[in-house]
Amino acid sequence: MTKAIGIATRALNRRSLRAATTVLLTSIVLAACGGGASTVENPVTQGTGNTNDNPYTGPVAADADVLKFQQEFWGNAKTTDRCGSCHNETVGQVPMFVRNDDVNLAYAEAVTVVNRDQPSLSDIVAKVSSPPVGHNCWVADPGVCGTIMTTWIENWIGATSGGGRQIVLTPPTSSDPSNSKNFPDDPALFQQFVYEPILSSYCAGCHSSESSTPQQPYFAEAGNDPAPPAAAIASAYEAAKSKINLDSPGDSRFVIKVSPGAQGGEAHNCWNNDCPTSSTQMLNAVTAFANAIDPTEIDPNLVYSQAVRLVDGTVASGGNRYENDQIALWEFKTGTGSTAFDTSGVDPAIDLNFSGDVTWYGGWGITIGANPAQGPGKAQGSTTSSRKLATVLQESGEFSIEAWVVPANVTQEMARIVTYSGGQTTRNFALQQTLYNYDFLLRTNAADANGDPLTSLNGDPQLSTPDAAEVLQATLQHVVATYNPIDGRRIYVNGTLVSAVDPVPGGTFVDWQDTFALVLGNETSSDGTFEGTFRLAAVHRRSLTQEQIQQNFDAGVGERFYLLFDISARIGAPVQSSYILFEAQQFDSYAYLFEEPHFTTLDGSAPTGITMQGMRIAMNGREAPVGQSYANIDMPLDLTGGNLDELGQPLSVLGAVLPLEKGPEDDEFFLTFDNLDGVIFDRDENPMLVVNDYMATDDLRKPDIGVRTFDEIDAAYSAITGVDRTSYQRGGNFLVDETYQELRQSLPAIEDVEAFLSSHQVAIAQLAIQYCDAAVEDATIWPTFNFGAAPNTAFSVANRESFVEPLITRAVGHSRLGPQIASQPSYTAVYGELADFPGAGNRPENLINRLLQTPGADTRSVAKGVCASVLGSAATLVQ
Amino acid sequence: MNNRMWKTRVRITLAALLAVMLAGPAAAQTREQAKRIYDRLAGVPPTESVLNAMVNNTGTDPVCAANGVTGAECAAYIAMEDPSFYNVTLKNFAAPWTNRDRSVFVPLNDYVATVIGMIRDDVDFRTVLSADLQYVGRPGTVGTAPAAANNNHYEQLEAGNHDLKAVLEPTTQSSVNGIPSTATSGVITSRAAAEAFFVAGTNRAMFRFTMVNHFCTDMEQLHDPSLSPDRIRQDVSRSPGGDSRLFLNNCVGCHTGMDPMAQAYAYYNYDETGGAIQYTAGNVQSKYFNNDLNFPQGFRTPDEQWTNYWRTGQNRYLGFYGPGADPVTGFGEGTGAKSLGVELSNSSQFASCQVRKVFKAVCLREPETTNDHNRVDAILTSIGQGPIIMKQVFADTAEYCMGQ
Repeated sequence: MTKAIGIATRALNRRSLRAATTVLLTSIVLAACGGGASTVENPVTQGTGNTNDNPYTGPVAADADVLKFQQEFWGNAKTTDRCGSCHNETVGQVPMFVRNDDVNLAYAEAVTVVNRDQPSLSDIVAKVSSPPVGHNCWVADPGVCGTIMTTWIENWIGATSGGGRQIVLTPPTSSDPSNSKNFPDDPALFQQFVYEPILSSYCAGCHSSESSTPQQPYFAEAGNDPAPPAAAIASAYEAAKSKINLDSPGDSRFVIKVSPGAQGGEAHNCWNNDCPTSSTQMLNAVTAFANAIDPTEIDPNLVYSQAVRLVDGTVASGGNRYENDQIALWEFKTGTGSTAFDTSGVDPAIDLNFSGDVTWYGGWGITIGANPAQGPGKAQGSTTSSRKLATVLQESGEFSIEAWVVPANVTQEMARIVTYSGGQTTRNFALQQTLYNYDFLLRTNAADANGDPLTSLNGDPQLSTPDAAEVLQATLQHVVATYNPIDGRRIYVNGTLVSAVDPVPGGTFVDWQDTFALVLGNETSSDGTFEGTFRLAAVHRRSLTQEQIQQNFDAGVGERFYLLFDISARIGAPVQSSYILFEAQQFDSYAYLFEEPHFTTLDGSAPTGITMQGMRIAMNGREAPVGQSYANIDMPLDLTGGNLDELGQPLSVLGAVLPLEKGPEDDEFFLTFDNLDGVIFDRDENPMLVVNDYMATDDLRKPDIGVRTFDEIDAAYSAITGVDRTSYQRGGNFLVDETYQELRQSLPAIEDVEAFLSSHQVAIAQLAIQYCDAAVEDATIWPTFNFGAAPNTAFSVANRESFVEPLITRAVGHSRLGPQIASQPSYTAVYGELADFPGAGNRPENLINRLLQTPGADTRSVAKGVCASVLGSAATLVQ
Repeated sequence: MNNRMWKTRVRITLAALLAVMLAGPAAAQTREQAKRIYDRLAGVPPTESVLNAMVNNTGTDPVCAANGVTGAECAAYIAMEDPSFYNVTLKNFAAPWTNRDRSVFVPLNDYVATVIGMIRDDVDFRTVLSADLQYVGRPGTVGTAPAAANNNHYEQLEAGNHDLKAVLEPTTQSSVNGIPSTATSGVITSRAAAEAFFVAGTNRAMFRFTMVNHFCTDMEQLHDPSLSPDRIRQDVSRSPGGDSRLFLNNCVGCHTGMDPMAQAYAYYNYDETGGAIQYTAGNVQSKYFNNDLNFPQGFRTPDEQWTNYWRTGQNRYLGFYGPGADPVTGFGEGTGAKSLGVELSNSSQFASCQVRKVFKAVCLREPETTNDHNRVDAILTSIGQGPIIMKQVFADTAEYCMGQ
């Protein structure tokens, strides 16, 4: 039972495809969509550098398909540095798909090793990319040969079949979720069994960032340190997890890597030049580590599906980008080493060499960093191979730069994403980041009316995305910079044109330098680091159209799989018939993305009326603790309704991001349900959070008192003096109000006495004086006091209490004869300080006496001073 | 019985006893205690005669008779008769809730005036996030009438130092702000809150600051990554800077609960040009689709339907008891800001927050001792799931913090 799905583009109308479904006995074939690119333009063929020995002199191609084969596949593969040294009529190695005597015979051989539905699954692709080194692969990474071979086949097949291809869903091998061992959070066991006895002893020479020849991954981090810090162990542990298979230690990459070739290993830097012993020691170490971990047992009450791994799925991606004008492509699939291969298939390949802080990113990609220990990262092509760009683009007169990038932040400036340059001030073109903007720099021969160049050697003036739009975000984005002489420069982000019209008129690239180097993530001089991740980069010889850009954006990036979770037994359906289908991919180095869940069948049946509630994705024996986007789903499974597409019944438009645990080759997924076809899992609710009350220790306890704050001080002064600041005025000036507004934010804003500052006291004094000035001039609260008398008369010992008592009563709270407030200074004490105390020892005499002795003192001045000293004192300020 | 359980039971018992005490005859209080009650509530010193009236009042004062209180509680009610309780204490009590900096130095506005008016009139404070209610100055008090597009009316009330206790009058918010009555949501849809929290952005600020101001907790304390992320919008990058661990360990915890509730504000915006709140019935504001390609597989807001996941899981300690619970899922559910306001304010956390804010305003510190917490618990016990009358809370708290 299988199911075939057309996948020319992800943007195709799947609902229309459903209508074209034809039910066969044991399979469903959905008509190929015929979507894909509308263009029929020929892909770029081989440039210079083809070392083909002899020109072809045989019969002409018999038909159009043979001709495309000749142009796109045969011409590239027949060179003697690739397949042409053996698979020809001279040597006679079969299949002779690159024979040079008759292209029609070569074609007949080639079709036997090519999968026209899924070029990536062709026998010939499998042959050149078979690990560990591939069958006569012409570059270091056999995966790259496979990708290039796939590209050639796609260019051949795609042009004649309308770009549509089919994916055949086949039922995965059914298996119940197994009890699984999971990496403990604490790295102690790893440190004890693997890190200390093996990794730090034998691998730290390279696999540590402190090494003189640092080589990722750093699973032996800080291995030269006698006592590695915990952070280094934790870092090594994270790097080592994907190299350890806890459920099958012998399949761990660590073990395979140091096993002898005779055992299927790679004999990689075996210690003491003894691979058998190294292999055994490594296996024993990993086994001991695994044995120390208790397996996670599956809750028997869970209602779950059958289990699959990501790599058990059907590949869902590739072949649906617009690539006809592509002349350079970096997909970063290799995952190891220090080279990113150009897999465009157009020679010469601009392979990028890494230097500085460059690390591989999970799910295809590289991350450029600025770790000072390693130096700023960059991925740079040679000037020789980069010349391809100048040669091709000067001829085409237009081009596009395309990249899937994840800027690490939105704070970096002049950070080169892609540049074809000689240094900070000389370039042919560059795409760079400045804060929230993408900038496009391009040098052309455009000139003004006087013949003066309109662009500089550096490609200025740059074209930027609008500041206000903040289109650049620190997340995965598809950015395309296009140029042609008519439209000028344009910048598209996530399929949308975001730049304004290019103010610089069009020109040609006649002035371009062909001695520059293409660099990703930095300037050639390493002083323009773009911190971030590349998941794909490409250069096209044409200015891509909006539709082509949208097609490539829709195609997405990274390797995606269709995962089929078998629920046949759970819903009483025939064996291997009913599935929950997900599209899944490794999202980044730390997570998976599951999306587009569908209910589907592979036998053409149409179950209906099946209850389905609360679907969760589980991994390695337990439900993922976070990211369960389908936990609240409540939707009956029904393949008879009208809401179907070619994948089946869509269950949700949401995606789920789930933490990666062991890696895509080892993590085993299954689904759980709260209710599936009436079988219910009674889920325990998470325990309620217990929030404990704050209890201050003795030394942290806050005081019981505080100070009045700004408005309270103002209101208190108003209450004491009887002055309404909003109505009091002299000479048309609202003196008190103006002073208060000026001082308001200089007064205490909070009650905390520990936050009281001397500046607060200064402001308080100013305000107190202003209020007292108004009060004395107004004299409302002192109806009997004679401010017109001379100071010594007005403030004689007999008279002074008539001024002081109202003040103390209103400000402090008690009068001379009234009941006293014990928490306030007593009336007697305050009166003594102001008007009565004769002086003794270091304590001066009372304030009034001292003020009266001031030269030039007048009655009102003395009164205001006495008033202000009361208002500004702690007796009024503290509450 | 372990130590924690023992302490808990003792606490509960003490709280119950205190609740009884709150309802019983008030203890005698001293002149010093009366002075502190007045200082803390009115913010200004009492006159000698007022202080005389406060000490051991048997309830003969008119305000005490009207409220059936005696002793220290009566003293507190007398203190709350001072206009400064409204013009100073309550104004600065509410002012920080109306701006992102939580500053007290902001002009009087409709949000603050409405809080003052509700407390003055003993309006159930649980309606502060949902009512079609706004307090304005009595006509003729100032030259400018309250308006949807500016704050002049309230600034003039403040500049004139008008007695808010005397001049504030209730009206409908919808009549002032020009939005439908069904779209009003108490202070949430006040002009001041809109200007501060509906401006630009994604409207999550309104929810976050409602938590800060009315749940006394910021989003970090409400972090629950185990909830479903099915309502987290598309603008939240699932791999910030290329590292999904940031999302899975940090971002997700707040957004799981916040995004499904902030959906209630999907039709609101603050129009910076017009200076007024904007409500687009049936049309989700474009801000809900900002950066929607950051994660296209995220949630795309179709309407103002909100869901409260915190009724389940670890955050159910927040104690939601309103009418919005779904009988099957247990989640709180509703449509629009008003029903969300009801949901939020009908919770033990909302009540607790109001009491704690009063405690801080009156006692000048957070509750920090067993006795402090016992008093807070006792006040909350007396409130239960009933109305929250803020003057009563102020009085009960002032009595506790009046000193020895």
